[in-house]
Amino acid sequence: MKKNRAIEKQFNLLDYALSSLWRRKLKNLGIIAVFALVIFLVASFQILTGSLTETAERILAKTPEIVIQKMSAGRQESIPVIYLDRLADIFGIRAAVPRVWGYYFNETSGANYTVMGVDRAAMPEGKNLAMAIEGDFPAAGQGEAALGREVAADLKLAGRRTFSLFRPDLSLKSFRVSGIFAASTDLLTADLIVTGLDDGRDLFAIPENRATDLLVYVTNPNEIGTIAKKIADRLPDTRVLTRPQIHKTYKVVFGWRSGFASICLLTALAAFVILAWDKASGLSAEEKREIGILKILGWQTADILVLRFWESLAVSGLAFLVGCTAAYLHVLFLEGSLFRPVLLGWSVIHPSLKIVPVIAAADLLLIFTLSVLPYLAATVIPAWRCSTVPPDAAIK
Amino acid sequence: MRPSHILALVVFLLLGFDAALYFHIRLERLPRQRSAAYINDIVTAGLGLTDLCLATEARYTRHPAVSDPMAPFMDHPGAIEHFPTGSFWAVPRDHSL
Repeated sequence: MKKNRAIEKQFNLLDYALSSLWRRKLKNLGIIAVFALVIFLVASFQILTGSLTETAERILAKTPEIVIQKMSAGRQESIPVIYLDRLADIFGIRAAVPRVWGYYFNETSGANYTVMGVDRAAMPEGKNLAMAIEGDFPAAGQGEAALGREVAADLKLAGRRTFSLFRPDLSLKSFRVSGIFAASTDLLTADLIVTGLDDGRDLFAIPENRATDLLVYVTNPNEIGTIAKKIADRLPDTRVLTRPQIHKTYKVVFGWRSGFASICLLTALAAFVILAWDKASGLSAEEKREIGILKILGWQTADILVLRFWESLAVSGLAFLVGCTAAYLHVLFLEGSLFRPVLLGWSVIHPSLKIVPVIAAADLLLIFTLSVLPYLAATVIPAWRCSTVPPDAAIK
Repeated sequence: MRPSHILALVVFLLLGFDAALYFHIRLERLPRQRSAAYINDIVTAGLGLTDLCLATEARYTRHPAVSDPMAPFMDHPGAIEHFPTGSFWAVPRDHSL
């Protein structure tokens, strides 16, 4: 019975708090809107970067175990294929494959393509690559190429099956389109032009005895680190990248400390500090008067604190729910369009960003702790200071 | 209707909307993602890909995993990083704010 009365009392206090908020609806709806906007910005970025990190980890799970690049004067340069002979007797290497790749700038459209020449027969899953292409995989040495969907659109082929790219000496190299990559692989292939190893060398004028990098496949994934160290010892002029390092890159790039996130968080924090400071610097005369009247009517200090708590919880809780829901919708249906200009920069090729948003409980807790809890503290403390003064003084 | 009931209704509507979104993901998006996963694995392994195609404006933002951390600054002595997508880069651990 006593318990029911306590619950009923809380309901009554909540009713009073909501009525009180509704009396100043313009001001309070404004606070909810601004507060929700701040939470929306922070949550959107958190969800977008979290989703991209998760997508990168999932999609790049089958990336080569080790990539070897030759370095000269701090820059990457083509690597002699003969280096493969120095790796031949390292126990645990399943295969080592040379690959040619580079960037091609299309001066007409301003787009950057990634051109890749691979020896399909030597690559793991190479025989299944046709499954990812609408058409055929380019035949070796035939001047054929498979295009990413965005490249095909950018080249404006309009039904043509051939296109040409410039070699470094400005002579033209012609390609016949053998197929287009499936739309489901856009996040990997949107800007790709894939061709045979020899055609790739021909386009970039890379001699036959050199490649852009060497891909090393390891039998036991637990030995990646050991084998990478052996390779680095035998090829001291190279940089050896391992699969765990590659996966770690995306965690770092899209970590919450990334530059843009810092700016978003600082902006949100600054807006919030101004709001909280305004609240904490004291109640308005009208609010003080209301507290005085309530005390004269027999309300205790604890009741007034509970009243303010319900008011703040209703405002900040609603803002939190609206902000987080809007952020999720923003990433799910609008592909994070607010952050797209920063994510794409001056890129001419715009791959679609159809990702499944990932939101972790830790992210929600972080946003809740940074927004709702300080707001509760900032509103309850001045109410406590005011409610401890004698009621007649508060009314005066 | 008591004001607290109206608030409860609003909160339940919002939570109901969130639950609908959750089921939309589970029933619509995730199965599509799973069916695409096999093809993506083939492409990654078959071409030896190391990076997502997100930003194609600069070589170090197109392939961050295989680029030097100093690549943004190596165009000429004293070069500054000027591509917008570079703002997504995290501050190195030992230079954090």
